[in-house]
Amino acid sequence: MSKQEPKSEIEESNRMWASASFVGVLIIIGLPLWWKTTEVYRVALPYDKISSFSELPSIITSELTVLANDEQSASEIVGAIQKAFEGEDILKLKIKKTIISDDLHRTLESVADEQDAIEEVGAAFDLTQHNQFYVVQRRPLFQDVWLGGERVMFFRDTKAAPTLIQALKHWVYQTKVLSGARSSVADSARRTRFPPGAAYHVVLSVVHPKPDKLSVDFDAEEAVEDYIGSFVDELSVLHNFTLKSQWLYLLDFDFQAKEIKDKSEWGRHFAVRQERLHLLLTSLEERAATHVSELPTLNLALYAAPCHAAPLIIHDQRGQPVQSPVQAFMSPKWGGVVLASPGQAECQAPQPRWRPNVRVVMGTFISQLRKLLGIADTPSIPGGFLEPLRSVTPRRWEVDSLLRLRTVEQLTSAERTLQSLAQLLGEISNIVINDEVGASINSAVDSIQEASEVMSQGHLVEAYRVSLKAHTAAETAFMEPSLLALLYFPDDQKYAIYIPLFLPIMFPVILSLKNLFLWFRGKTVQKEKTE
Amino acid sequence: MRILIIPLLFFTTAFLLNFNSAIEIPENFQKSNHTNNWAVLVDTSRFWFNYRHVANVLSIYRSVKRLGIPDSQIILMISDDMACNPRNPRPATIFNNAHEQINVYGDDVEVDYRGYEVSVENFVRLLTGRVPPNTPRSKQLLTDEGSNILIYLTGHGGDGFLKFQDSEEVTSQELADALEQMWQKRRYNEIFFIIDTCQASSMYEKFYSPNILATASSLVGEDSLSHHVDSAIGVYIIDRYTYYVLEFLENVHPNSQRTMSEFLAVCPKSACLSTVGVRRDLFKRDPSKVPITDFFGSVRPVVITTDPIDIVDIPKRKKTVQNKTKVPEKRNYLPQFPMHLVQTT
Repeated sequence: MSKQEPKSEIEESNRMWASASFVGVLIIIGLPLWWKTTEVYRVALPYDKISSFSELPSIITSELTVLANDEQSASEIVGAIQKAFEGEDILKLKIKKTIISDDLHRTLESVADEQDAIEEVGAAFDLTQHNQFYVVQRRPLFQDVWLGGERVMFFRDTKAAPTLIQALKHWVYQTKVLSGARSSVADSARRTRFPPGAAYHVVLSVVHPKPDKLSVDFDAEEAVEDYIGSFVDELSVLHNFTLKSQWLYLLDFDFQAKEIKDKSEWGRHFAVRQERLHLLLTSLEERAATHVSELPTLNLALYAAPCHAAPLIIHDQRGQPVQSPVQAFMSPKWGGVVLASPGQAECQAPQPRWRPNVRVVMGTFISQLRKLLGIADTPSIPGGFLEPLRSVTPRRWEVDSLLRLRTVEQLTSAERTLQSLAQLLGEISNIVINDEVGASINSAVDSIQEASEVMSQGHLVEAYRVSLKAHTAAETAFMEPSLLALLYFPDDQKYAIYIPLFLPIMFPVILSLKNLFLWFRGKTVQKEKTE
Repeated sequence: MRILIIPLLFFTTAFLLNFNSAIEIPENFQKSNHTNNWAVLVDTSRFWFNYRHVANVLSIYRSVKRLGIPDSQIILMISDDMACNPRNPRPATIFNNAHEQINVYGDDVEVDYRGYEVSVENFVRLLTGRVPPNTPRSKQLLTDEGSNILIYLTGHGGDGFLKFQDSEEVTSQELADALEQMWQKRRYNEIFFIIDTCQASSMYEKFYSPNILATASSLVGEDSLSHHVDSAIGVYIIDRYTYYVLEFLENVHPNSQRTMSEFLAVCPKSACLSTVGVRRDLFKRDPSKVPITDFFGSVRPVVITTDPIDIVDIPKRKKTVQNKTKVPEKRNYLPQFPMHLVQTT
């Protein structure tokens, strides 16, 4: 008996040590290891920076130089402008005032034409810089305020200050459209223009339903190259464009137009109801294959009406014919269509041949393109005169305004994208953030901060470029295909996998814990007793 | 102080009254502010005996197309090609009723995802926009904050999942998360979600994103049943719920005044043999005031251009270096007998 006792004690302690080592391996090493290895992989993200975006100043500084004849009117105008722009949350004007030199003053008073006056101003000041604007006093002016295509606006005297401020707000700086780019609900300009992007694809389709009855002389390629090419060249600082043209023959579309007698050369016209116009877009889309390009496509279509259905006139919802030099319409975020009809003389020729007026057609397309790309409409201001556009080139201050608009828009979009991504990561716990996604999030965050800094310093082109980078990086981060790597794994399936795996091992281990615990306690008690 | 407060009170009430009158819409319908319509129509099951699911989805496709959604804004996913199935007694056709009146395969069906491309991964990628690079634009859901989306799913489902292709399933949680990601990315304005499977309502129970109206052909614990067999084709050719939906949609026209609540009540239990489930707590508008064309039709705003630019100086773009070869290609006949290959000494 006495011999067996220590032996069984040794056995006992061996057994206990064995089960203790099981516990050690399984619970102390195994559990944390399992926890660690099944963790969702997430790169550390700058959550604090993302949540502090709203505190980031989003101010665009813009330089405005006031040139007046004397010190008093200069400070009066400057004071009025400063007061009017105080409440603007996005735009901050850095106003400089200068007295016009005698030379310039004399020439400004003497030249008759505003264009010549601008050249004179251009000789004295550098008008080619982005984000600069000059307000110049010029007494022999028929209106209060005159604005042309350059970064110069003339005003007559201090009485013109209210008109001047209106013109600055609604024409030059377009503060309403600018704040619309930040608002959560899209305004009408944002519903019309394409979402921001680095590049667009412009396609001109000439739709020719009856090529057997009428031949159309229209060099689509050259028209696109000359007119649209020259227009987009001016916007090359903003986007890249690819231009294409194509002919679509035999497109069968029924306008359900009603013949109406009138006093034109035809003695009739066909009334197209406005409600039916969108159906033309649908049938165009079937044929135009506009989504072959990966880029967003701006569609332009010239519909050459066949002789038997010419001329086409659009009638609005009230049934009135549209008063416009050209029959055309535009679909927001899609593109524009011009309905061109041949004249009677061309159709009655033995071999009908028709040459559409390229100048008018392309002028309409440019007008539509401007809106689709975000150049805002200019409302009329009493007392102010805005020189109408006579060429495809956008006005210089319009490009600046567009740069500001797109910068704000891209920055807002990037901030929102990152914020919702951060929120999603909190809501949905099993999204993996791998290194690439992490890198583009970080790059977007850095670009946003950089852009907001550059913006407030007034370097517009640089700010646009950085904000585009932020926008692209944020989009790639959100839309990264690898974000889908780990699909949702339901809890019951987790149990189904882990219980058969762990239960048979864990069951005896956990049961032995009690024995182990008792044995250790007993040992210490025994030790204490023997001592 | 009181003197100050009274005009303030007056002002606030006046403002509130004003505000109320601004919210109330005098017409019968609550105006929607969507700017475009999209449809995602998915059939998830393959094999010949599931002919009816393909017929379901193609019937809905036909209806939304008739009501005006263009093909470029319909994403159609069909798991199996019933029209070309060797067991189809009438190849290249798919019918949705026993009289074989309407061939829903028609002549103009644009299938975007077909066969084994219809997978859970592709479906979730499509919804969330996380498509692999170089995916054609026609296979992407290019929606924006103004889009109303109609999602129609049909196939075999169970409590909390929908089976794709016999090999995998999408769970209700995954679907809810995908929709939430769409909402966060501002990829929709409103969603109308229809699902025709067994225990269909389990699929929308986990939704938590706003502006979703959901309806299902059956409640949890119920089966959705098929409608009738075509003895010539030899299989069930349409499901009950979709059959009654179509019966309703056939009488809807682009200008019709039918409302969503009529649509939701389209299949009473006596007809469907299962209870149609509806979830409207996420949807902000009253379905009885929402026209059905908000989801099944298509809006395309059109703006008349009245201000063309009168171009005076005609632009001439400086020609960039053209990489066109102006040299005409010289062609001539080969000699009839290849003498040049023969070594002459």
